[in-house]
Amino acid sequence: MSTIASATTKTSNSYLTDGTTIRSWLLTTDHKRIALLYLGSITLFFFVGGIAAALIRFNLIAPQGMIGSAETYNRLFTMHGVVMVWFFLIPAVPVTLGNFLVPLMLGARDLAFPKLNLISWYLYILAGVAALYSLIAGGVDTGWTFYTPLATAYSKGHVVATVVAIFIAGFSSIATGLNFIISIHSLRAPGMTWYKMPVFLWSLYATSVILVLATPVLAMTLVLLAFERIFHIGVFDPTVGGDPLLFQHLFWFYSHPAVYVMILPGFGVISEIVPAFSNKRLFGYKFVVWSSISIAVIGFLVWGHHMFVAGASLYSALVFSILSFMVAVPSAIKVFNWIGTMHGGSVRFDAPMLYALGFIGLFTIGGLTGLFVAALAADVHLTQTYFVVAHFHYVMVGGMVSAFFAGLHFWWPKITGRLYPEIWGRVGAVIIFFGFNLTFFPQFLLGYLGMPRRYHSYPPEFQVLNVLSSAGATILAVGYLLPLAYMTWSLFYGKRASDNPWSATGLEWRTESPPPTENFEVTPAVTAPPYDYPLRDVEQRHV
Amino acid sequence: MSEVSSTQEFQYSSPRHQAETAISGMWLFLATEMLFFGPLFLAWIYSRHWNQQGFDAGARQTEVIVGTVNTVVLVTSSLIYSMGVTFIEGGGTRRLIQCCIGAWLLGLMFLLLKFGIEWRHDFERRLFPGSDFAIDGPLRDGARLFFVFYFLGTAVHGLHMLVGLILVGWIILRARRNEFSSSYYTPVIAVGLYWSFVDMVWIILYPLIYLVGRGA
Amino acid sequence: MNPRLRHLLLAWELLLALLAIEFGASFLALDRAARPLVLVPAALMVAVVSVAFMDIRRGPETIRLCAAAGLLWLCILLGLGSLDPMTRVIHHVRTTNIK
Repeated sequence: MSTIASATTKTSNSYLTDGTTIRSWLLTTDHKRIALLYLGSITLFFFVGGIAAALIRFNLIAPQGMIGSAETYNRLFTMHGVVMVWFFLIPAVPVTLGNFLVPLMLGARDLAFPKLNLISWYLYILAGVAALYSLIAGGVDTGWTFYTPLATAYSKGHVVATVVAIFIAGFSSIATGLNFIISIHSLRAPGMTWYKMPVFLWSLYATSVILVLATPVLAMTLVLLAFERIFHIGVFDPTVGGDPLLFQHLFWFYSHPAVYVMILPGFGVISEIVPAFSNKRLFGYKFVVWSSISIAVIGFLVWGHHMFVAGASLYSALVFSILSFMVAVPSAIKVFNWIGTMHGGSVRFDAPMLYALGFIGLFTIGGLTGLFVAALAADVHLTQTYFVVAHFHYVMVGGMVSAFFAGLHFWWPKITGRLYPEIWGRVGAVIIFFGFNLTFFPQFLLGYLGMPRRYHSYPPEFQVLNVLSSAGATILAVGYLLPLAYMTWSLFYGKRASDNPWSATGLEWRTESPPPTENFEVTPAVTAPPYDYPLRDVEQRHV
Repeated sequence: MSEVSSTQEFQYSSPRHQAETAISGMWLFLATEMLFFGPLFLAWIYSRHWNQQGFDAGARQTEVIVGTVNTVVLVTSSLIYSMGVTFIEGGGTRRLIQCCIGAWLLGLMFLLLKFGIEWRHDFERRLFPGSDFAIDGPLRDGARLFFVFYFLGTAVHGLHMLVGLILVGWIILRARRNEFSSSYYTPVIAVGLYWSFVDMVWIILYPLIYLVGRGA
Repeated sequence: MNPRLRHLLLAWELLLALLAIEFGASFLALDRAARPLVLVPAALMVAVVSVAFMDIRRGPETIRLCAAAGLLWLCILLGLGSLDPMTRVIHHVRTTNIK
């Protein structure tokens, strides 16, 4: 596709202009429009969760807690967790980039069940409204993990309202996952065998498998939790023969695979970006593909590592510890393969690649520290401290949020037809990298030194590290607000994008930016393998 | 080129492609339902493990005759619906409607037996695990938890049955409007899959409720 | 009679037979821990329903994959989830009457 015509205005209808009424947006079944509806919604929740985070870091500037009340602090970190997990991280890439790109990458005209897709957005919105109601009514103080008996017998917060919101959000996830799995099985373009699919599709497939199998367990668990709280059924209450660990097993059976739901799409994004910006084929395609599937499977076998000191049997703890070590292997394979891809390639440092490089570094640190806490003896010391908090923020935020931003920047021209200002993209990536490390690296030290998590106050000797962390959070906030600003700007004033500004492979780049409603004029036929780099027209690349 | 009943949505290459995709979607949904019931089964395992004597004592209070009759009713309902699918495969809309009505009536019979008769008896005998629970002493905890499982499990199953009745009713209505033929009856299959699945859940619940605790 | 219908009726008879076996087996004097074996005929009934009524052997490959995945994951939940209570060592303390 020639890039010479990049400055000319579109003559054909794109999906953005095909119907301009509010009704055409709110009743759309076009996967691309639904992706944008979701993008707006999750951005809103990202900032709700972000405000909670800002208040948490604000509180921790002083040892006695800047916000006087422990109860308020507890409600803040709970809201932060609930919103960030269920209303941002779990949906993030699948519902935005996934919804937009899955049919395009498959060479299809839409997902298998377009109406179900729209329903999934409405379920998400309904859940979001319920969550916001619970938040405004005062929130809940149990932590996003809702452990019994605090959540069932002692908490004075709005447990049931919050749990109802999460229950509904779960069905939104299941619908999305179901749609992706069936689409990938059924709607691949002629010639696109499984091994010709881009890794992003494999990642979303693996993610969707987890979504459809784990989320129903959470749904029933939340029902049991609500019934225990309201009707005192006793299934989690040891004074009447129940078992509080049953709740933890059921909760983590979902919530551990959920973290792989959060990260796998990120892996997929990075696997698209690194080859494109190294102009080199992805190293070890099959290894990367099967590592995603392995993570999805093995990820279901490790949940007990959240319960090492909870009173579970030592034998089961041993089994879970060994399995937790094993789950690190496929992730490591991916990191080596990305590095192998860059090695010998001609690397460009545009914003998507900067975010991707940040991801690789930060995710590796986060992943390695996961091994620390997977080791039984070390976990006895580190559990429930800031070490764990730092670990999961390195993978979730340093890793996943960076990957999300990487993908957003990479596919922005395709989605909007505009180019974001590259210089600001790079500035944002660098600010986020530094802000993130300043926020969360001190927390490894704090945890190791013994500062417990979920406490609104702390011993004075921890203050310096806490202040550094809070300072980093301020920088991080700037880093997150910057893309919101310049990307919104680009919607109105950005340069118009050509079909393939990055000279990347993949079917999505073979249609216009932004695509027409039906995606392709003619269903494309696939003959080349994925990542057919190096591409010849290197000189025609954008900037 | 196609009659109303065999056009496919724009993203499919043929009616058969769409039919297979819809069936796959229903099976995937049923897989999620298996996991949805999972925590109830794990709760059964835990509750019985920690309170074996009491749990089984509670189980012995169940009405095994009603439970067994209900199992026969559901299995027969599944049979009749599947016969309906066979009939529409050969173009027999009238027979399909008859079979769906038969399956529907058996489903209704299940609900009446379970909630109209069995649950009523259970409430009368104060087996509802509230503050008024009939069994006291060392067996109380286990027996209570058994009835928690019993009422919750049968309630969730019952809700699924209700949805099933609505779906089968929808099939009857569409069949009466002549919307199905030997070349298009995908919704009939899909609803049948759901209906048989709800039957399967009961097949597992039945021994967990009525048989395991009933020792010599 | 249509061979398909005959197969369905045969399956139904098999289901009733399995139900009878299961019902009868529940009267066996099994050890408390072995009582759950009564579920074996139930598992067979589930298999019969899936083959005969749900036609799992026909249709696209995907459906068998979905069924297998659901079953496998259920086994992981119930199996690995039971490992803890089955192997937990209980240290009894004197119970006080908290009720």
